[in-house]
This record gives sequence, C-alpha cells and structure tokens, in this order.
Amino acid sequence: MDQRATLEMIAPSVDEAVQNGLEQLGLSRDRVHIEVLDEGGGGLFGFGGRQARVRLTVLGEGEAAEPAHEERKTPRREPRPEPTDAELEDVASIAKATVQELLQHMGIHADVETRVGVSEEGDRSAPVIVDIKGNDLSILIGRDAETLNALQLITRMIVGKEVGHSAHLIVDVESYRERREENLRELARRMANQAVRTGRRQSLEPMTPAERRIIHLELRENDEVSTESAGQDPKRKVVIIPQQS
Amino acid sequence: MKALIEYIARSLVDDPTQVDVQERQNGSRTDFSLQVAKEDMGRVIGRQGRVANAMRVLVQVAAARDDQRAFLNISEPE
Repeated sequence: MDQRATLEMIAPSVDEAVQNGLEQLGLSRDRVHIEVLDEGGGGLFGFGGRQARVRLTVLGEGEAAEPAHEERKTPRREPRPEPTDAELEDVASIAKATVQELLQHMGIHADVETRVGVSEEGDRSAPVIVDIKGNDLSILIGRDAETLNALQLITRMIVGKEVGHSAHLIVDVESYRERREENLRELARRMANQAVRTGRRQSLEPMTPAERRIIHLELRENDEVSTESAGQDPKRKVVIIPQQS
Repeated sequence: MKALIEYIARSLVDDPTQVDVQERQNGSRTDFSLQVAKEDMGRVIGRQGRVANAMRVLVQVAAARDDQRAFLNISEPE
C-alpha cells in the first residue's frame, strides 16, 4: 500500500475546501490529487445545504496532477431527452412486474395498476405512476409514508437497473400521495396567511424533498411570502417568510 | 422474507451469482445476513445507506405480517 499524505477538508463549497486544504499543506494545486467526496449544496441560496467535502493526496516527485473535474464522484448528469411513449410504456410494464413481485414476496395481496401521469410543471418528463389497490393496505404506507417511500426507492432502483437509466416513477397506495399533496397545498396556503397576518416566519414540520417541493410550488406565485428550506435531511423543513411590503 | 431479500439484491447487482442470504432464527427474531460481491456493495447500500435502509423497512414490514421481527445485515465476502 502506498502511504502518501492525504487531507480531508470540509467547507461550504468545493473551491473553498480545496483552497483551505492547499493553504494547510502549503502546496500549489498541481502538487496534489483532488478527489471530490461530496459536492455539497442542496440548500436554496446556499442556506442550510450540505457542506462540500474533498480529499487531497500529496503527489510524489514527477507525478502529474490530473484535472480535478474528472474525479468527481457525482458527475452532473446531462438532462435526458423527453422519453418517448414507447419508453414510458416500457418503464410502466417493468415497474408493474417489479412491484407485483415485491408485494408477493412480502406476503401482501393487492392489485397493481400503472398509468402515465402528466406533471403540472410541463417541463418535466411525465412520470409513470404505479398505484397499488386493495383492502387494508395501511401497512404499505407506514409512519410518515416510510414504507411507501422504501417501496418506491427499491422499485426505482430495480427498474432503473433494468432499463439502464434512472426511472422517473411514483409508487402510490390507494391514491395516498394524491391526498397528501392536496393536504400539503392547503397547509401551505394556511401557513402563508398566518405568516402575513403575524409578520413572522413560519416553520413547517420536517418533510421529504418531494413534499417540500409541493410547498415551494404552491407558494411560488404568492407575492406576499417567500419560501426557503432549512436544516439537514431528514429534519429539513420549509420556512415561509413574509415579504416586507 | 429470504426470497424478498434475494429478489431485491439479485435485481440490483451486476453479479447475481455472488448474492447469498443466510438466515438465523433467534426466538421470534430472525437475523438475515446478505452478502454480495465487493464491487456490488455500493449498489445494495446506496448513497448514505438509503437502499440498505429501504430494504430493511420492507423486510421489517414483511416480518410484522407474521408477528416476527427481522434484522438485515449486509457484508462483503471475506
């Protein structure tokens, strides 16, 4: 094993982390190998986001430094072209078979239906929706939808592996997510009113990224308030801020 | 439950032949031990352990159906 000196740095941005590391080592950029362990980010306006993490390895004499950007562990993905109907049908049928198989192994009897939904945004690809229908399926939702989200994650991973790219699909049980979305919109409007009335920022309960997105979108057109996300997952929450008029 | 773990793991890895699930009964509690090829560890664990945690949730729900408790441990081959 080679035992070259390495240094891990954490800072608000990748550049700052690298800069701080180089200063600490007293070396220039071409004398170290830079690995980006975590790009950080995630917070709106850099507020409440994850810190960036880099590892610097001191190079021996004669070793050339590689460009840092080729070492990124989480490369920015090119946006995929809009999926064709045939691709969506493909994802839908694989997703249906996958969910059926998972439920069968879990000992749960239910019907599985798929449809291609239309997202309200229009600029995002229409997701495939897998709806599980049957009696007494609350076990499939779980506390804070933990079970449903686990089922959705595993289904996405398996389908993604099968089709060779990440699968944009939603797994729902008895339209639970639809109802939850309606409740979230209502909550957003109510808390926005409260923020305006009291002149104080309102912190909502912790939510998943998808749930926070619903709140942000619901209040995007509302000029009287702005929204931000604060804190770290899984405790990250939306804050509704009244605008000074 | 063993079949559930095997199905998920085999569907996610590059080398399904290296997937092995052992189970050990411990009263009303079952301990499952999943092994996959070293190169496939990342696929069954996921970023910040998200895939492993999701598997654990599903295994626990399946176990609760039979009034059982189940635990899932993931390791690479010796």
